[in-house]
Amino acid sequence: MSTDMSTTPGASSGSLLRRGGWRLEKRLEVKPWHEVVTLVGAFIVGLALCSILIAAADKSVIDSYRALFDGALGSRRAIYETLVQATPLIFTGLAAAFAFRAKVWNIGGEGQFFAGAMGAFFVSDLWSAHLPRGLMVPVLFIGAAAAGALWASIAGVLKARYDTNEIITTVMLNFIILLILSYLLGDLWRSPDTFYFQTVTLPESTHLPLMIDGSRLHWGFGIAVAMAVVVYVVLRRTALGYEVRGVGINRTAGSYKGISVPRVTVLVMAISGALAGLAGAAELAGVHHRLQLDISNNFGFVGIIIALIGRLHPAGVVVSAIAFGALVNGAVTMQIQTGIPAALVDVIQGLSLIFVLTGAVAVRYRLQRTSSDE
Amino acid sequence: MSDVLEALVNVGVLASAIRIATPLLLAALGEMVTERAGVLNLGIEGTITVSAFGSFVMADKADSLWLGVLSGVGAGILLSLLMAVLVSSIKVEQVVAGLALNLFGIGMAFYLFRAFYPQTGGEMPRSDTFDFAEIPLLADIPVVGEIVFSQHWLTYAAILTCPALWFALNRTQFGLELRSVGNNPAACDMRGISVTWMQYLALAFGGLMAGLAGAFLSVFLSGLFFVDVAAGRGWIALAIVIFGNWRIGRILAGSLLFGYLDAYQLSLQARGLEVPHQLLLALPFALTIAALVVNRRRSQEPLHLGVPYFRGER
Repeated sequence: MSTDMSTTPGASSGSLLRRGGWRLEKRLEVKPWHEVVTLVGAFIVGLALCSILIAAADKSVIDSYRALFDGALGSRRAIYETLVQATPLIFTGLAAAFAFRAKVWNIGGEGQFFAGAMGAFFVSDLWSAHLPRGLMVPVLFIGAAAAGALWASIAGVLKARYDTNEIITTVMLNFIILLILSYLLGDLWRSPDTFYFQTVTLPESTHLPLMIDGSRLHWGFGIAVAMAVVVYVVLRRTALGYEVRGVGINRTAGSYKGISVPRVTVLVMAISGALAGLAGAAELAGVHHRLQLDISNNFGFVGIIIALIGRLHPAGVVVSAIAFGALVNGAVTMQIQTGIPAALVDVIQGLSLIFVLTGAVAVRYRLQRTSSDE
Repeated sequence: MSDVLEALVNVGVLASAIRIATPLLLAALGEMVTERAGVLNLGIEGTITVSAFGSFVMADKADSLWLGVLSGVGAGILLSLLMAVLVSSIKVEQVVAGLALNLFGIGMAFYLFRAFYPQTGGEMPRSDTFDFAEIPLLADIPVVGEIVFSQHWLTYAAILTCPALWFALNRTQFGLELRSVGNNPAACDMRGISVTWMQYLALAFGGLMAGLAGAFLSVFLSGLFFVDVAAGRGWIALAIVIFGNWRIGRILAGSLLFGYLDAYQLSLQARGLEVPHQLLLALPFALTIAALVVNRRRSQEPLHLGVPYFRGER
């Protein structure tokens, strides 16, 4: 939508804002360092504004942020824990980034996360007694990817065939899958030995091995980073990647170039759903080992934000997912040490995103001294 | 089995259906107006949460329910104006701005709640709530009086908003201009109608209505605030707008239907009946998707919904 701005430099400059001898005009070219400065600036402004909230609660800003930092990155253990928090966000961030590259607005990452976790649980439940761990874990991930892809494809097919707005359908599908899961947890999948809505604990053969012994860091993180590389290669080096980017830039022109837009839409939705589904598998097999309704900390929605902050680039997704993981992880320490509610992190994230978005628009303009005759 | 059927027409169930429908109707009407002006506001969930908190804290601390409603509405309008700055002035992608607002709003409300009410492990803080406003004489009619005329004043207000809003949108110059902004902003701009200004107004109205919805949840229904107070109602309101095909009558019907299904499943659960109530709850969302497919040829969706308007560009 807003990408066409950069293709018409100066089209509406001058008329935007005129103050004194200065004029706001469009930049002809936005350099990468402009974007980096915007991102870092947005984050700092977010933290600065939140320090007002901390000060208003009569707490020391420096102590609070130090506790936040210590909890996030202050020790080896803290760093491992940060990476554990980042793992599902890398997957859901990649899911959103991949879809958004094609301008397919998949808001259903949250639902696809759960579909994935359900798929993973389903195959584990069926086969964990029969398969060794070396086989069970890959099968579980495949099951999750398939379930996520399938759930997302509903929205993809509806869009391709009936041109329904995928923003709406994916949001609706989020609710439907959660209600289906809630039903299953109360019925078929309910663990017989508990009052809670949860399944039995899955056997050892389904547990993801640890990357670092003695920590909670599991191989889900390694797989997530590997997926980022795969997504990068697919986008850059394959025909599908070319089609995805083509459809993203211009749907109509894409179809003239022989790209089947409906086919690409369904495919993009399925791949995006599969990526989000993998997040569900990683959380189930790496952290929780049992299926519950609260295994997602808004991962699907936060993934969208991470994708945008990461500029829809796989590397950007990994970096911003780790930054968000650090915030979430540090917030726990901050809450324990200083009594600042961990919800502050949501405010920091929300504010940073708002400034990132604003900055992304602002960076396309520059202030220019106007000549005297204007 | 007979219990399951009896609950369908139970007076208590029908009355609570209208009660449950109230915040949905309020938020959906606001969102419909916002969308008519071309802005898809995905941030209603956050707006409702912020308003519920604003109402709750003011009602509790200032000990006035009316001030509570006012502060909830004020908070809703403020958050929506932030959305307006982002999407109409800075022209950030609308979907993203809405999601950012949800994250920011819910985080902010919960942070402030914890700052005002530190966790003690005891009982949750509770504010007063409005009493039901029984309408004299009408409330005495058997059955109907109990279902329709013994509700909260905000419920009556929400229902009366429907014809008023219909008139404002369809029979006034202003309404025509507002709808045109969502359908053809370039033409409006040419006629001297400020697209940005109209979108600010529409979003402020949406914020006001979501604010009332939030106030309804805290100072009418429960007297409580908690982080999940909105419980997806913002998203359901969004669904109702689509389900209602952007028409006021159908939005009213949709709100009542969604409210009814919820009230029905609640009563089945309260009776301890083993029914898959989650499937009843999922029905509205499935219906919304179906409505999207069925209505696609007669869709009233604003043509420029979600598309930022740049003067001088096409």
